Amino acid sequence: MADLKLDQIRKSYGAVDVLHGIDLDVKDGEFVVFVGPSGCGKSTLLRIIAGLEDITGGDLMIGGDVVNTKSPRDRGIAMVFQSYALYPHMTVYKNMAFGLKLANHDKSAIDQRVREAARILQLDQLLDRRPSELSGGQRQRVAIGRAIVRQPKVFLFDEPLSNLDAALRVQTRIEIAKLHQELESTIVYVTHDQVEAMTLADKIVVMNAGNVEQVGSPMQLYHHPQTRFVAGFIGSPAMNFTTVHIDAVEQGRVTVTVPGGAKAVLPFDVPAGDVGKDVELGVRPEHLSPGEQGDLSISGEVDVVEKLGDSTYLYLKLANGDRFTVRAPGHSRIKIGETVSAAAEAGASHLFDANGKAYDKLQCPAEYSADE
Amino acid sequence: MMTKNIRREDMSRAVIVHAILLTYTLVALYPIFLVIINAFKSRKGIFSAPMSLPNAETFSLEGFTKVLARSNFELFFFNSFTVTVVTIVIVLLLASMAAWALSEYKFPGNTWLALYLAVGIMVPIRLGSVSILNLIVELGLINTLTALILVYVAQGLPLAIFILTEFMHQIPKDLKEAARCDGVGEFKIFFAVILPLIRPAVATVAVFTMIPIWNDLWFPLILAPGDGKQTITLGIQQFIGQYVTDWNAVLASLSLAIIPILILYLIFSRQLIRGLTSGAVK
Amino acid sequence: MAHSGPMTDWRKAKLPVFAFLAPATIIYTLFMIYPLIDSIRLSFYATPSGGEMAFVGFDNYRTILGDPDWSATFWNSFWNNMKFFAVHMLVQNPIGIALAGILSLPQLRFRNTYRTMMIMPTMLSVVIVGFIWQLILSPVWGVGVDILDIFGLKSLFGPWLGKEGSALITLSFISVWQWVGIPLMLIYAALLAIPDDLVDAAIVDGATHFEVFLHIKLPLVLPTVAMVSILTFVGNFNAFDLIYAVKGALAGPNFSTDIMGTLFYRTFFGYQLQLGDPSLGATVASLMFLIILAGVLFYLFAVQRRLARYQL
Repeated sequence: MADLKLDQIRKSYGAVDVLHGIDLDVKDGEFVVFVGPSGCGKSTLLRIIAGLEDITGGDLMIGGDVVNTKSPRDRGIAMVFQSYALYPHMTVYKNMAFGLKLANHDKSAIDQRVREAARILQLDQLLDRRPSELSGGQRQRVAIGRAIVRQPKVFLFDEPLSNLDAALRVQTRIEIAKLHQELESTIVYVTHDQVEAMTLADKIVVMNAGNVEQVGSPMQLYHHPQTRFVAGFIGSPAMNFTTVHIDAVEQGRVTVTVPGGAKAVLPFDVPAGDVGKDVELGVRPEHLSPGEQGDLSISGEVDVVEKLGDSTYLYLKLANGDRFTVRAPGHSRIKIGETVSAAAEAGASHLFDANGKAYDKLQCPAEYSADE
Repeated sequence: MMTKNIRREDMSRAVIVHAILLTYTLVALYPIFLVIINAFKSRKGIFSAPMSLPNAETFSLEGFTKVLARSNFELFFFNSFTVTVVTIVIVLLLASMAAWALSEYKFPGNTWLALYLAVGIMVPIRLGSVSILNLIVELGLINTLTALILVYVAQGLPLAIFILTEFMHQIPKDLKEAARCDGVGEFKIFFAVILPLIRPAVATVAVFTMIPIWNDLWFPLILAPGDGKQTITLGIQQFIGQYVTDWNAVLASLSLAIIPILILYLIFSRQLIRGLTSGAVK
Repeated sequence: MAHSGPMTDWRKAKLPVFAFLAPATIIYTLFMIYPLIDSIRLSFYATPSGGEMAFVGFDNYRTILGDPDWSATFWNSFWNNMKFFAVHMLVQNPIGIALAGILSLPQLRFRNTYRTMMIMPTMLSVVIVGFIWQLILSPVWGVGVDILDIFGLKSLFGPWLGKEGSALITLSFISVWQWVGIPLMLIYAALLAIPDDLVDAAIVDGATHFEVFLHIKLPLVLPTVAMVSILTFVGNFNAFDLIYAVKGALAGPNFSTDIMGTLFYRTFFGYQLQLGDPSLGATVASLMFLIILAGVLFYLFAVQRRLARYQL
């Protein structure tokens, strides 16, 4: 296993810049997930690490060596593709043995590695089958097996779960997590699904339009999003946003007016010059409790109710037209048309300036903090 | 800055690859090039400096004037053109009708009929020439373009039907059902709805039908060798046979046959290639 | 894409269905299938000079295959045709496959220009191609000598087309020169159908581009290679135009360039010393048909069945 370092990686296709200078440090054995919407550049970045795309600028280092000009074979990486990319004319065994055969390993060594990987992934019975005879989940495991036998320094995964159905996705996700624990491998994983990111990653890299928005642990990103984009991307259902007006600023405290007219005092470090401005307030649905009073109270008319059994989601229409989602207990009896007031603790809120950057939050209670 | 990130092996590989491709392109084009440049030379120029371009001294159009005077190139061209175009039109019409019937309607023997019609793709029609000649003579069509057209239509139908049937299978069901819901009659559905939809496949069919016809020597030789009915391929063969020692004329006649095709090819190459590749892989 | 097979019951539309199918089927049957069957029928008849056409059983076949002169001519043309085919299989198809492989390399510049240029000879008439090469190889003109001189190979030049030992091979190479475009296009199209992912996976697995071609691409296009082979076979045994254009019906020198097509033509139409004989011509045609059929059946059963089409 090895560590990975990206130093100002830039990528352009002709005149179009796709990646604008990415910096990243991945420690040996770390599970890093690149996440972001379509077109943010995460797959391109993965392909650059793999060596399938050229680097326009910057340096890429694997295990301390600069590998910019090295072919994929010489980088010590293995990749699992979204479409699995299994060789259709080869058996499972041959698929997994292909890379080793090309590298001229002797037959017994190849056999041992293939069978070991097959054992780990429970493919022992399928070694003589062709890919067309396998289910989606089985093909996925063969693709992973093909990567494992090469004993790479870094594993690369390109949206491996996207082609699986929901139940299989959860199961395979767990298998990948267990694999990481067992092999202690350095993994770079790309996905557009933030649930996968949150559950699998040691470190998440949130990307947007060729830039890194934020790097951090799942909890760090959940509790301390540094930008409006990250705040809205991480967490499901997504964080609620609405415009509030800054009335006054004091040492470590800011008074805002929320839609509907109520006021709230929140623990943010806001420069005095921002008084009078309209900024964005964010608060997660799970941090809002309906029918109560608190530091931050927002009220609106319920226009949709979704009952899921363990919880109920209320969609409130605020005074200014914005929609807020509130997570109520499963047994909630609130109906459509009712006007509901939902409250959250001050420490659970987030404030973002006109550029989408988060204001520093002071005084964070333990349940809203990522610090251990 | 860019070169730092390109591997040395990639660059040398690129050089080798382009060297191979250029070499083969040269092999493919040079003979054609030679013929054309020498057609524009005087006899002396052809022999003294065959590989150079015609210059002020050697440039001459005498070959062309001879050819156009002694033979009826315009007529040959017209004959080839007529036969090819008429055949393509008939094939397109008949093949799309048959393909439509085969792909749309369930009837007993559908599969067998399709197989029957497809046999012609592999079987060379020339083998039946003895009987074809008898038939043409009996129909009183010997030495007519009509004879060629009939034979070429028969030759072109199997592949055209095959290509169009595949194509029609891909027309979305909804389109056909919508038309039927409107209470449109079967004939109308075909002519008004389906026929316009096969435009993309027309290029493929046209290419596969056209090339074997335009370049064919066998059937013009057997069925329509008479004066005034020769196609361009037959015409050139006879002309060169007659004037074989007249280098100017020979080279000029070849050029007259090549240049139109080249021009057409260069204009339509993209469609032609798309036609060749899309139909053939099936 | 959704493959919607025949859906509509024809009983509601009997007339249209019939009208759609009739013209094509009639012309096809009349001018292709019927003549073929009739030719085979004619091969069992003969018209003795001055007499009526009469049924003679297998006499014609015995003549062609048994009579010393006929038999020699027949087998000569058969083996010439096989040599012709061998040159195409050994030269035309490997070159076509290799060029297709090179053209399918990722990020190749001028790919389409190369492709357009390289298949230009295929667009020309066989007759024209024959004449072009006849001129270039002509000792009278001398261009051929000049070209070889550039590479210092002047001494290699000879009147290849005129010599018995080299004429057939030379014509084979000329035909290859013209028809490389076909395997090139067909294999290239098949290579394009291979998903980029597979190539990427192989590269990550450590393969060079050549190894990718050998281990991944080539096996996946083998069905197309097989199809190209059978097309080559049928085309070669049907060939006529090139030999006739360059060498005439006599396919000299000394019948060294005689292939089945020219034999058929000569037998059927006759030439200077011999009258054409439609019955014998039909016999030759039937024998050609048997040979081609054998090849096609071999392909359909032995080859195509074994080559599974891999689901990509």
